[in-house]
Formats: sequence, structure tokens, C-alpha cells
Amino acid sequence: MATIGAVSEAAAPRDALARARQRAALIPDLLVEARRVVNTVIAGWHGRRKRGIGENFWQFRPYVDGEAIARIDWRRSARDDHTYVRDREWEAAHTVWLWADPSASMFYQSKTASVSKESRALVLALALAELFSRSGERIAWPGLTDPFSARNGAERLAAQMLHADALPPRPDLSLIKRFSDVVLISDFLDPVEETQTWLDDLAMRGVRAHLIEISDPAEEEFPYSGRTEFRDPENGLKLTAGRAEMLRADYRNLYTARREALAVWARKLGWSYTVNHTDKLASDALVRIHLAMSAGGN
Amino acid sequence: MGFLPLSFAMPAVLAGLIALPVIWWLLRLTPPKPQTEAFPPLKILARVLRKEETPHQSPWWLTLLRLLMAALIIFALAQPVLNPRERVAIDGGAVAIVVDNGWASAPDWDVRVATAERMIADAEAQNAPVVLAFTADADNTAVGPFDPQEARERLNAAGARPVPVDRGSAFARVADALGQMPGATVAMLSDGLASDADEDAFATLLADAGNLIWAAPQGLAQIGLMATANEPDAFLVEATRATNDTGLRQATVAAFDDRGRRIAEAPLSFAAGEAIATAEIRVPFELRNDFNSVAVDGQLHAGAVRVLDENSRRRRVGLIAQGDGDVAQPLLSPLHYIGRALDPFADLIEPASADLASAIPQLLEQHPAMIVMADVGNLPAPAHDALVEWVEGGGTLVRFAGPRLAASEPDEDLLPVRLRTGERALGGTLSWTEPQAIAEYPEGSPFADLTPPTDVTVSRQVLAEPAADIVERSWVNLADGTPLVTGARRGEGTVALFHVAPQATWSNLPISGTFVELLRRLVQLSRNQGAAATTGADQTSLPPYRLIAADGGLVPPTPDARPLVGTDAPVTIENPPGLYGSDEGVVAHNLLPADAMLEPLARPQTPMPVTDIAYGFDRQVDLRGPLFAAALALMILDTLAVLWLGGRLRRRPRLAQAASVALAIVVLAAGPVPDAHAQENDARPGDEEAIDAISQTRIAYVLTGNSSIDAISRAGLEGLGRFLIDKTALEPGAPVGVDIAEDELAFYPLIYWPIDEGAPMPSPEALARVDAYMQEGGTVLFDTRDQFGAGFDAGAASGSTLRLREILADMSVPPLEPVPQDHVLTKTFYILPEFPGRFNGSPLWVEASQVVEETADRPVRVGDGVTPIMITANDFAGAWAVGASGAPMLPTVPADPMQRAYAYRAGVNIMMYMLTGNYKSDQVHVPSILERLGQ
Repeated sequence: MATIGAVSEAAAPRDALARARQRAALIPDLLVEARRVVNTVIAGWHGRRKRGIGENFWQFRPYVDGEAIARIDWRRSARDDHTYVRDREWEAAHTVWLWADPSASMFYQSKTASVSKESRALVLALALAELFSRSGERIAWPGLTDPFSARNGAERLAAQMLHADALPPRPDLSLIKRFSDVVLISDFLDPVEETQTWLDDLAMRGVRAHLIEISDPAEEEFPYSGRTEFRDPENGLKLTAGRAEMLRADYRNLYTARREALAVWARKLGWSYTVNHTDKLASDALVRIHLAMSAGGN
Repeated sequence: MGFLPLSFAMPAVLAGLIALPVIWWLLRLTPPKPQTEAFPPLKILARVLRKEETPHQSPWWLTLLRLLMAALIIFALAQPVLNPRERVAIDGGAVAIVVDNGWASAPDWDVRVATAERMIADAEAQNAPVVLAFTADADNTAVGPFDPQEARERLNAAGARPVPVDRGSAFARVADALGQMPGATVAMLSDGLASDADEDAFATLLADAGNLIWAAPQGLAQIGLMATANEPDAFLVEATRATNDTGLRQATVAAFDDRGRRIAEAPLSFAAGEAIATAEIRVPFELRNDFNSVAVDGQLHAGAVRVLDENSRRRRVGLIAQGDGDVAQPLLSPLHYIGRALDPFADLIEPASADLASAIPQLLEQHPAMIVMADVGNLPAPAHDALVEWVEGGGTLVRFAGPRLAASEPDEDLLPVRLRTGERALGGTLSWTEPQAIAEYPEGSPFADLTPPTDVTVSRQVLAEPAADIVERSWVNLADGTPLVTGARRGEGTVALFHVAPQATWSNLPISGTFVELLRRLVQLSRNQGAAATTGADQTSLPPYRLIAADGGLVPPTPDARPLVGTDAPVTIENPPGLYGSDEGVVAHNLLPADAMLEPLARPQTPMPVTDIAYGFDRQVDLRGPLFAAALALMILDTLAVLWLGGRLRRRPRLAQAASVALAIVVLAAGPVPDAHAQENDARPGDEEAIDAISQTRIAYVLTGNSSIDAISRAGLEGLGRFLIDKTALEPGAPVGVDIAEDELAFYPLIYWPIDEGAPMPSPEALARVDAYMQEGGTVLFDTRDQFGAGFDAGAASGSTLRLREILADMSVPPLEPVPQDHVLTKTFYILPEFPGRFNGSPLWVEASQVVEETADRPVRVGDGVTPIMITANDFAGAWAVGASGAPMLPTVPADPMQRAYAYRAGVNIMMYMLTGNYKSDQVHVPSILERLGQ
């Protein structure tokens, strides 16, 4: 009987270089996939929807005391007895840090999932990169590139990734400045406390983070039964369950408790927490993350 | 294995059980191979898994299962045997098997045979010759030695016999046979009952024997019936049991009639320590006469059955009178009241001759239990002597007084008391005395327990001479103390005298119920004197008639049964117990004598080695098969368990689903669920047609098979239908052609039957269906369509008419008449004087209505019901037939449009008549009814 889940890599579980190559091999396809996904998302996405510094007209609003008089739109104000201020749509360049978890556990794909978690994570990251690049944001990848602004941001990111040797499992987040957005795509399978400790730094610096949990249905449903030996793809640890189906309820409790804890913590910090299953569409997560980002901007 | 009847053919293999711990150790070390799965959230899983011990070894129950499997296989290899039979060592080179096959061994004969068979098998194993003897067997039966095969055949051919054992004879024969083989083994399979001269017999048997094998039944449960007695108030059955059977014991004694039907029963209870008990069957005397045999329930041997002969039966009573009774005046006949009183419970015999000298010997030949002599005076000397001898031998003579007796010589032998000559009159015109009533019956009288009547008076009687014993001989006294009935013993028999005449002249006793009671009691006291007269010469040799089989049943005689000579012949092979005689009379020959004792048989004291064995079937069971089967089942279980542990059963449909599916299959297979099927399943083939036929009123026509006639019929009925729709409230559906042999006719109010002489004659079954249709209220309109085809001769008939006659010949056709002028058919819708069709002139024949007196003011004839038959020759359908355009298809003859209109009106009237019956005839009275109601 075939196993339920498999790790995409064949050998050398700890060989980061091999993994990088594997990832690099994925990227051209994923780039295409990311563009496709972005196209579907753009069709339903209406601008930044925010006033701010920019070129385009956004709205007229009544002048309130204290505002710079220079901002009054006299032409509009002349038409009636009120004074109006012309708001422009916010166009300030913004830095968005993207990061997809490169650890070995991300290469897991079960039979019910359409892609591996890593694949889904890269697709989402590149799709976001494409989106933000198109809207003129600066994008960056911690440990890989500094923030840059380019029309073809996704391609440049992909190129950088292709040539990177090995990516550290936990990137250095200290470069991320205040008011930046960070999109962290991972499976967040580490203990909640570890993740929180790792990200507390960001929270203290006022960075707005968006956590996307990529989850394989097999991890969530635990469809195992009978005598099963479980192997951790990251460190090769093994556990044998006599009757795996007996563990299902307890395991799922813990699994969802972890997700809940992270989600609650993120919400408390004003962050967003999005779950994307690899048997669902990537665009689901894309839409949600964009809604979260645009909503958070108000 | 002392607690289990278990033995092993190869006990050495059991040493393999030592290997079980090794197997256990090996099994513990090899857990089932797990399924390997990559699983990223292992850290989370690890927190769960910590709670349970990670199994590195097989679960304990799986190990136990496998150990059990191994142990079962080891046990099976050791060839275990359940209930191993005991083997009997046979010394001395030969074995003599002596089997008691008397009546007491019948219930468990099979066990004895099985035990003997085992011995023969043991002898066969040791190549020893077998001497086989049965103790209830003919004297000249060979006893061997036989080879084992022949012995086995003889054993299987033998059976228990309903006779006592004769050990002496059998043992002597065995001893003879063993003479050449000293020191042989003697096996005695006894029935446990002692017989006469057992000691000598055993001494003979064991003289040359080397050792003795002794088998006796565990306990003696036999109950034997020793005697029966038909007492006045009950039928007594005396039973005995083995003397060592001392506990309280209950049994049931049942009585059976000559066809083996159980007609009475009574409990039989042995008190503790008592070997003899008596059952009382309390049933009416008449019923007791039907007893043919009595038997103890549950005792399947000949000793528990007793057959009954004439001695315990209905009594024969001879009637003698002197001088012929006047046949013209039977109430004055001396025997009339006696005969009427005795008839229900006795067989009455009357001599052919009126002459006493020949009549009495004739009667005595019939061996009657009782002879009633009504007013007989002096007897001829030979007859008198014969009668005295008969009474001495046990007969009961009842005499009645009368003028002749009163005038006769005193007769000491045949009268209980001395009589005074002449009679005494009470209450006559010359007497001061009153007619006397009957006093209380004296103590000691056979009637003592009866209630004396108060309404019986005696006005005349004969008187006894006073004597010393007159009181004890008086059975019934009058109120003044003079005896009315006296009686005395004479030898074995009884003589009784009624001091009154047997007619109602001397007293009203003969016409009272007391008379019946007294006579009946006397009959009960009497005893039949042997079998009824048989052919005389063969009196002492009676052929077997019905014999008691070994199992207690009554069977026809077996070929080896011989005629019974003498009444006290012993029960032997030649004379097994049963009934001897013929249809005319039988003698019972019963197994146990009245003094029978069932003593247990003691094992003879002998110095030689003795082995006690018990009777028993061979219940040896080889356990190898079941053990291997159990091991195989465990193996399958183990396989399933391994699959389950490995999660292989996981992807299968869930057990619950599978179970529910299986349950559903079982339920479906087991039978229909009543509710569900009550709604679905009452559809039958043909329902569609039936619903179709009855959802509209439809007129039917008979399919003749001639397509042009059928087409005209159809078109005609269609045309009539259109006319009906136009003119009336009736809207019939499309006409239906019916096949009278096949289709259901009951749906149609009217069936139009055009007679076609060319069509084949309908089968009788089809005509019967049409007949039934007509009887049940349907109407058939026969149309011969030959008004102008029959010729002009009054007697001439066309082919169609002849065919119609043929058809009607097989039906029950009511009387017919042409529609009279006042028939309701003429008024149901249109007023019509005649019923033309395509032709005109033929009357319409209908069932004749009841003739009622013609009254002028009655516009219509009354009559219930609708005529079941109408006959016309006018070809209605031809007149009605219209084509698709509505134009008539056939011309009328003569071509008169009004005739067609009248034809349609005739059709309308007929249909209205069909559907409304005599409603119209009632309707004409409405004005007068309303008038009567005062409206």
C-alpha cells in the first residue's frame, strides 16, 4: 500500500544545496503559475483604496481646521459655500518583505494534496511579489535580497533564488524596519512558543506581519491507521504508533490548538493569519492576504 | 486427564508442548511490520504518543492467539480420543457372550447390542471364537462357537422377546459349547432380574469358565402389571416393581380400546419400600367394557402391558321366560322391562327355543354371566341340573316371582330362600293392608350404597318362609320388613330372587328407575363364564390372535407363535403373551402371574476373576478434526488481526456500514418487510386493463373472430355511444371487444354478442364463464342478425339461430318472452312499442317477468332485477354502426331513416334499462306516492 504522504526530495535530507536546486527547478514553473494566479486576483481587486500621497484624485472632503490651506481645492470650493480639500490616493512606496519557509518539512506532499507545501509557499510568495511589483511597492526577501523596486520583481526574486546556495531555515529579520509589511509563509509546525519568540522581535519593532500557514490535508486530517511508523523529514526522528487511528482525535486537538494559539496571538498584534491548504487554490490565500493588507492600511 | 474421558493415541507428541515458551519468545520478538510514513508535524504527534506505550512487540493477545494455535496443533497431532471405550481383556482363547433378551431387556436393547458388539470387536482383535447365546431363545438354537462376523450378524438379528428368560437351558448350551475350550471368558449381559433356579444355572455356566465379565443394568426401572380386576366401582390394576427400587414412585396406567385408542388412565403410586401398587381407573362401567389392554406409560416392555379378555368385559345376560309374551302387547311381556333395563350395559341373549329343556342348555353354551328367569316355575330335571352346575361354577341367576313361581314346588338349589306357596296381596279390596313401600337397604346388601326409592309400592309378592338366615339373605326389604329381594351364594355363583313379578302388575318396581339400578348392580356383580361359545371341539387349543410385542405394542401373531393349549399354559417362546382365540372370543395370556416378584439378580459368587462393566453405547470421538479446525479458525483470525493491526482493513468500508449492508441483505433475503410491501406489492398483472375498464362505463362486444362482424360490432357500439352522449346523461367509453374465454367479463354492464355461425363453437369453459356472468347480474344481448335470413317457414331456423340454440343449451337460461307492451324496457327513456335494428320485425326476447294480475291503473309491469339475457334477430349493431365521419355504414332494411332512429332509441332504452334497472318502473308511481304523502 502506498504511503499517504511523501517528501519531494529523494535523498540527502539535510543537503540544503540539493534542496535549493530542487527549489530552483520549481521556480520557472512557479513563476508562470504565480502570474496566472495574480491575473485572476487582479481582476477582482480595485486599487489601493486609500488616501495618501499620490498622483491620482481620490476624493473631495470638507476642509477641517488645522489642515494646510495649500491643500484646499479652490476650484471645487468656489462652486458652493464650503471649502473642500482634494485627497489623492495613497501612492507612497511601501516595503513588503516576503519569505517562504525553505525547511525540509515544507517539501511534504500527501496524496490528497495537489502540490507540495513548498511549491504552494513559493507560488504565493512569487505571486505576491508580482502583485506588489506591479503596484510599485518595494519588495524584499530576508537573507536573499534587500528591498528593491522593479516592474519584474517576481522574476528578479526568482532569479535571485535560483542562484542562492542555501537558505537558512530562520532568516534574519533584524533588517526589517518599522511600518514595513512582512509576509511569512510557512507551515508553522514548530511549537507555538518558539515561533512567538522568533517573531516577538518584529512585533516590538511595529512591523506588520502577515502569517500564511500552508497546511497539507494529511497533516490536518491525520488519515493514518494501523501500525504506522512516522518519520520527521527535518531531523529524521521516528515514532511508531501501534494503532494510529487511536491518536487521531488527540493529535487533531493539538494541531488545531497550535493554529488557534498562533491565530489569536497574531490577531492580538494586529497581524493577519491565513491558512491555505495545499488541496485548495492558491488564489484563495492570495485574495485573503490582499484583503488583509489593504484593510490593515486604513 | 482423569477428569475428562480423554485419551491420546500418541501421547509422546504432547512433549511438544514444552516448545511453547520458545514459540512465545519468538513471537514476542517479531512485531508486525509497520507502515512507514513521512510526517512533518511529528513534534505535535510526539506529544500525543507519549501517552501510550509505543508497541515494539506484538500485542499480548496476538501472542496468546498464536500460542493457542500451536498448542491446538500439538494436541491434534497427539490424536486425542474423547470417551475412549474400555477394552475387555479376553483370556482363554474364546469368549462366550450370554445375553438376556427377555422382556425386561426390551427398553434398552440397543445398549446391550452395542455392548455385545464391542466385545465381539475385542474378540475379533484377539482372533478368539465367539459363543453367543440368548437366554430367551428356542432350546435348539445354535450357540457357536462362531467367527466374529457371524456372531455380529446373529447379534444384530436377535431382539428382545416378550417372554421370561430361560437361563437354565441357555446356560447349559453355552457350557456344552465351552466344553472343548476350558478357561474361556464368559460375558454375562444380564437384564438384572432374577429367575427361578439361577444358582444352578450359573453353576453350570461357570463350571469351565476362566473368568467372568458381568454386565448388569444400573437400576431396575421396570414396572410389571400383575393383575386386573373389574370391580363394581373401579377397574383395578395391580402393578409390581423391582424389590430394590424402594423410593416413592409415580406412574400412569392407561387403558386402551381394541383400536389402541387411549380411553382412560389412572395414577399408579408406589409407596416407599413397597413393591406392589394398585391403580384404580374410575370410569363408567360402560366404558370399562371397551378396555382391551392396560399399560404403564413410558414402560416399553411386555411386562407393563396386560391384555384383557371377556372376563373383564360386558356381561352376557340370558333371559328366560315361560310362555310366550304377547307380541301385540309388549308391556305385558314378562321380559319387556328386564330387557329394557339391561340393554344399555349387557349383551342380552334369548334362547331360540321356548322349551325350557332345550332353551337352558342353549343359553349355557353361550357362557352368560347372568341368567334372568322371569316367573319360571318348575324346571325340567336336566335343565335344572345344568343350571345348578352353572351357578355353582360362578353364574348369577336372577329370578322373578309370578304366578307360576308362586305355584311351583320349592326349589332349594335355584332359589335363595324357601317360599311359601301362594302369594300375598297388599291393599286389595279384601285386605286391610296398604301397598308397601321399600325400606332402607339393609347393611351387607349389595345395594347398600344405593338410595332406596320413595315412590315404589308393592301390592303383591311371594313370601319367604321364615328361616334363621333370612335376614342376611334379604337384600331389599319392604317397609314392614318382609323381604322383596333375596339372594344367596351357591358355590362360586349367586342366586337372587325378586319377590315380585317382572311386569308392573304386582308392583310399580319394574317401571321405576330403581329397577334399572338394582339390575345393573347385579350385572356388575356377575362374572362372565369364559369365552363365548366357539366351535366346541377346538375349545382347548386357541390360535394366537393379537400378541404383545417386546416393546409392549399389540401386533398380529408372529410365525413362531403356537396355539395356546389349556388356560394355564406358561408364557414361552411358543406362547408369547397376548390374546388367543378368534374374532368371536379371545383369551388373555398375560406375561406376569398375579404373584410375580421382580427380584434383582445377584452376581454369582465365584472364585474366578470378575470384571464388572457397564452397558453403554460406543461414544468414542476422534478429536483430531475439531482441533485442526479450531487451529485453522485461529489462523484465519490471526490473519485478520494482523491485517487489522497493519491498518489494511482501514480503507475498506467501515465495519458498521458493512454490518448494516449485511443486515439489510439478510433482512431482504429473510422475507418481505410487511409494511413496505403492503404498499407496493398488491399490483397484479392486468391491473392496468382492469382500472381502464372500470373507470368508465363501457359496453363490451364478443369477439367472434370474424373481423368484419367485429368491426361492425365496434362501430355499432361506438355509434350507440355517440347517440347516448348526445341524448342522455350517460357518456360511455370506447367499446371493448372481449374474448369470453380469457377476459374478465364482470366489468361490463352489457355484452353484445353477434352470433356468427361460421365462428367456432365457444368452449364449455367459456360458456360457463358467460353463464356465471349472467348469474351475477350481467346481461348478454344475443343478436342473430337473421331476421330476414331464416326463411318464411315458421319452423325454419337459420344457422345463427341454430348456433344460438347450441350455445344456450349449455347455459341456465331463464324462461323467455318477447318484451311485453308494459315491460319497463319500453319506457326507460323513450316510449317504444318495438325494438328495430337494421331489420325490423323480430321481437326482443327477455326474461319472462312474474305474472301479476293485470290492473288497469298500473302502467308498467313490476319486477325486480334486470334480465340477464336479451335475444334479437334485428342486427342492432348494423343499424348503429357509424363510420369515422359519423355517417351510417350499413343501410336499414327497408331503407327508412326513422327505423335507424328507432334502432338508436332501442339501444338507448336497453342501456338505460341496464344501468337503472327497474328504477323507471318505480318512477311511474311517483305521482301516486306523492299524492299519498299529502304533498
